[in-house]
Amino acid sequence: FRLNIEGLLVYFPYDYIYPEQYSYMLELKRTLDAKGHGVLEMPSGTGKTISLLSLIVAYQKVVEELRKLMDYYAKQTGVKNDFLALALSSRKNLCIHPEVSSLRFGKEVDGKCHSLTASYIRAQHHSNPSQPVCQFFEEFDAVGRQVPIPPGIYNLDDLKDFGRRKGWCPYFLARYAILHANIVVYSYHYLLDPKIADLVSKELAKKSVVVFDEAHNIDNVCIDSMSVNITRRTLDRCQTNVETLQNTISRIKETDAAKLREEYRRLVEGLKEANVARETDIYLSNPVLPDEILQEAVPGSIRTAEHFVGFIKRFLEYLKARLRIHHVVQESAPQFLKDIYEKVCIDRKPLRFCAERLRSLLRTLEIADIADFSAITLISHFATLVSTYSKGFTIIIEPFEDRTPTIANPVLHFSCMDPSIAIKPVFGRFQSVIITSGTLSPLDIYPRILDFRPVTMASFTMTLARTCLCPLIVGRGNDQVAMTSKFETREDFAVIRNYGNLLLEMSAIVPDGIVAFFTSYIYMENIVASWYEQGILENIQRNKLIFIETQDAAETSMALEKYQEACENGRGAILLSVARGKVSEGIDFVHHFGRAVIMFGVPYVYTQSRILKARLEYLRDQFQIRENDFLTFDAMRHAAQCVGRAIRGKTDYGLMIFADKRYARADKRGKLPRWIQEHLTDGSLNLTIDETVQLSKHFLRQMAQPFRREDQLGLSLLTLEQLQSEDMLQKIAQIAQQA
Amino acid sequence: MDEEPERAKRWEGGYERTWEVLKEDESGSLKATVEDILFQAKRKRVFESHGQVRLGMMRHLFVIIDSSRSMEDHDLKPNRLTSTLKVTCAASVNCTILSQIGIITTKNKRAEKLTDLAGNPKKHIAALKKAVDSTCVGEPSLYNSLNLAMQTLKHMPAHTSKEILVVFSSLTTCDPANIYELIKTLNGLKIRVSVIGLSAEVRVCTILTRETGGSYNVILDESHFKELLILHVKPPPASSSSECSLIRMGFPQHAIASMSDQDAKPSFSMSHLDSAGEPELTLGGYYCPQCRAKYTELPVECKVCGLTLVSAPHLARSFHHLFPLEAFQETPLEEYEAERFCEACQGELKDKSVFTCLACKKVFCVECDLFIHDTLHCCPGCMQTDRMS
Repeated sequence: FRLNIEGLLVYFPYDYIYPEQYSYMLELKRTLDAKGHGVLEMPSGTGKTISLLSLIVAYQKVVEELRKLMDYYAKQTGVKNDFLALALSSRKNLCIHPEVSSLRFGKEVDGKCHSLTASYIRAQHHSNPSQPVCQFFEEFDAVGRQVPIPPGIYNLDDLKDFGRRKGWCPYFLARYAILHANIVVYSYHYLLDPKIADLVSKELAKKSVVVFDEAHNIDNVCIDSMSVNITRRTLDRCQTNVETLQNTISRIKETDAAKLREEYRRLVEGLKEANVARETDIYLSNPVLPDEILQEAVPGSIRTAEHFVGFIKRFLEYLKARLRIHHVVQESAPQFLKDIYEKVCIDRKPLRFCAERLRSLLRTLEIADIADFSAITLISHFATLVSTYSKGFTIIIEPFEDRTPTIANPVLHFSCMDPSIAIKPVFGRFQSVIITSGTLSPLDIYPRILDFRPVTMASFTMTLARTCLCPLIVGRGNDQVAMTSKFETREDFAVIRNYGNLLLEMSAIVPDGIVAFFTSYIYMENIVASWYEQGILENIQRNKLIFIETQDAAETSMALEKYQEACENGRGAILLSVARGKVSEGIDFVHHFGRAVIMFGVPYVYTQSRILKARLEYLRDQFQIRENDFLTFDAMRHAAQCVGRAIRGKTDYGLMIFADKRYARADKRGKLPRWIQEHLTDGSLNLTIDETVQLSKHFLRQMAQPFRREDQLGLSLLTLEQLQSEDMLQKIAQIAQQA
Repeated sequence: MDEEPERAKRWEGGYERTWEVLKEDESGSLKATVEDILFQAKRKRVFESHGQVRLGMMRHLFVIIDSSRSMEDHDLKPNRLTSTLKVTCAASVNCTILSQIGIITTKNKRAEKLTDLAGNPKKHIAALKKAVDSTCVGEPSLYNSLNLAMQTLKHMPAHTSKEILVVFSSLTTCDPANIYELIKTLNGLKIRVSVIGLSAEVRVCTILTRETGGSYNVILDESHFKELLILHVKPPPASSSSECSLIRMGFPQHAIASMSDQDAKPSFSMSHLDSAGEPELTLGGYYCPQCRAKYTELPVECKVCGLTLVSAPHLARSFHHLFPLEAFQETPLEEYEAERFCEACQGELKDKSVFTCLACKKVFCVECDLFIHDTLHCCPGCMQTDRMS
């Protein structure tokens, strides 16, 4: 139906609307009106994405064109109007070439694709038809660019179908179609990772609205995209890369010296083209390639190919020497540069051009399979980054892993400590950036660590006809021993036994699936081993089967599959997994797949890590965020993320059990999202196992009572008339809490 | 990093506090809303029963009672098993000759038939009483018990309504094969499976009942349990596809003979043929009008000629299902003007609505309304006026 949100007509594809959805759209509209950035938190399963899309679509376009939004639901159904929305993914997911798409790893697909579609390969194909090319790309290149993709909604499969029908490559089609699309759905990395963003996102219009959905982890994504880890293996592979380069160069020199000369000439002229482009504000600026570089020409010392290879070799030798240490070294970027200058006489300036120079070289040498060159590319990125940014980064060289101090495994971490560096161009370039997720509390920390000024910050609660979530904080065992995963007591026999008893008791009263989260793999292994010795596992297995998440992805997905089967056929199952693991982030446990989530302990990050320590220090110095605040914030958002797995909508219900007495403290509790906090009464704090069982039993019985849509109507589900009534509007106003 | 949180006499608060929280009902907290929904459901049930539908009066019902480890839980007093058996006894009294029930128990991954399909409640009650002392061990097997029930039910004629009622306490089931195949078979045989859960909602039961057209309820407490079970006493609407057929029944006269009578010859009852108990010689009894076989008790199916033997009162007990009492009219208490006394219990009307019988215009409270419709099946007000006139 249609609704009027402060003068904007929004088409909403359902007959009913949740009050919080209305409120969410209201806030969103205000943000867009103010042309500013926003942070919005709304519980999962309350239709966040549809509200988001409805409003943005309405905002972007004039009303007539949206008559069919009713049919347009979550990008799934294609509708003929002049509206284009598409999903973009990697080549691996989009390729339809029969040979290429059968490859298993993304890197292989990329490499193979590149070897079939690179411009010089195609040029060779002209002179020599036996040179294989990708017919889909050829076809697309020949006609695809002239004919616009028909308006509609394309998900990945639609794109592939469309590609197959036309004989066009869906990947390049999608990348090209972005220019015309009204809505593009893709992963963060396409925007945040400087290496990819340059290719994919640079041509997005300035007025675009950027929405980061499920953005609770955005700071880590930013940091990852700017960080580089170099191991000895990387260096070894880099060494082979350099040799290949050298061979190719000498070969080409004999056959086609003109080509190298041409490149040289281009480099003398500098990167002027890129500079022009940036000045006209067409491109999203690339944080790897800061503005100053563009104004200069590539320095003479690395201009010719041989010199550059020699330069890289020297750099490589230096890195190797650095990795040959027996103690931990931590230094800042300027220190590193000074050291490298002293030892091998490498200046800062040529280092900065490393990435750009390598790209140019690879292009000139017509090396098809770029995948093989990932190691040297990584090194060149590192070189550029380290010489460009003097602040916000740190270099840590560790001779071994903390957990295995006897095995030498030197790693050089070049770690970004400031997520705002990667995301800065995004905030700078786009008019409105919305960050939204189910768990963003406390809201004010995101603007601080990402360094931006939002015009709206709001957290929404769930309006419920029945209380379908039941957060309980279990602080003690029946023997009154405090339950906590605190470092000092985590090996304590009584604590482990109590955790075991809790799981045992819950396994007897919770139907179907239980998901239990531990703070780390090691902790899980220790606990499970000790449960086995105490015979607790055996007892649990009488009630439910036990599955364990491991670091192996294949094993885990197998376990997950079997877990779901066991939930489905009534046997019941427990999944033991790890907060911050794959399960805690990406997998939803709807309805019977997760009737209870148990969080064993507070999922703090591994605080002894040097990278983390450096980051905390940086946060304290730069943003005045105390270490403890950040750690708690980080732990609580992961805890909330974990327990939020169980509730995926208003008809769903689930227990959320926080098994650590520290959760009861105000500083932890206050950092939970509002929609959980709301149901956390004094009566559900610091319970014993027995009390928890009583409360849970009661809750589960209540929830098992028949629940129909009529019961929700008017309370948590509104028709248009109900929405427009005066007192409902007042109620709605309370849903959003401005942070 | 963590200081000890203050723990002011937690051991005193403990359990009571949890009840307080749940009883609070201003601000629409848990109990109020759920209870409201329940109340609505109660009323709905009364109304629903007044449609003109064909009812499956001939029923073959297997009651599967879970006697696994979880039945020893003490949340129903004294434990789940005893309570369940007690409630089932009470409900099975209501079964009539038209509806035959059988009882199956499941424990230790096996299913066991306690009693076969029969119309006489006495036998079931005796068996149930005996079962109270049995131990509860292992896991139940939903598959095995459903399969066992199905083996018998599938031979039943198509005009009867075939039902299985599972009283399921455990949250897990140990099955030898894929239960979804079995559900399909049950669906194909038109066997309706209903489940009463004693602890929480289990997915497989939800599917089971949804696929076979049964109902799935989870109890809140003992009285709710009883209520749910009573619900199953009422015959379900017959599916339109079930055929019609003539059912032959015999109404034997009870022949009484005194010891003094010369002609009287003591004889054995046919029903003792297969029972393990001591056969007794009796004088009088019911004689099958077709073959003159003697039985001491009714209702029974004649062992010789297969005729169903009943007495008229037995049939009459099923009567009210076909012609239920009209629903009373509900009016809010504020609109009700006259004296606020319930005609039945003489208590003051305090609930938010009152109920008026459309025939005699007498007024009743909610509880009495339910009692009249669920148990009495006739309006006390009307009876009184009938007698007066």
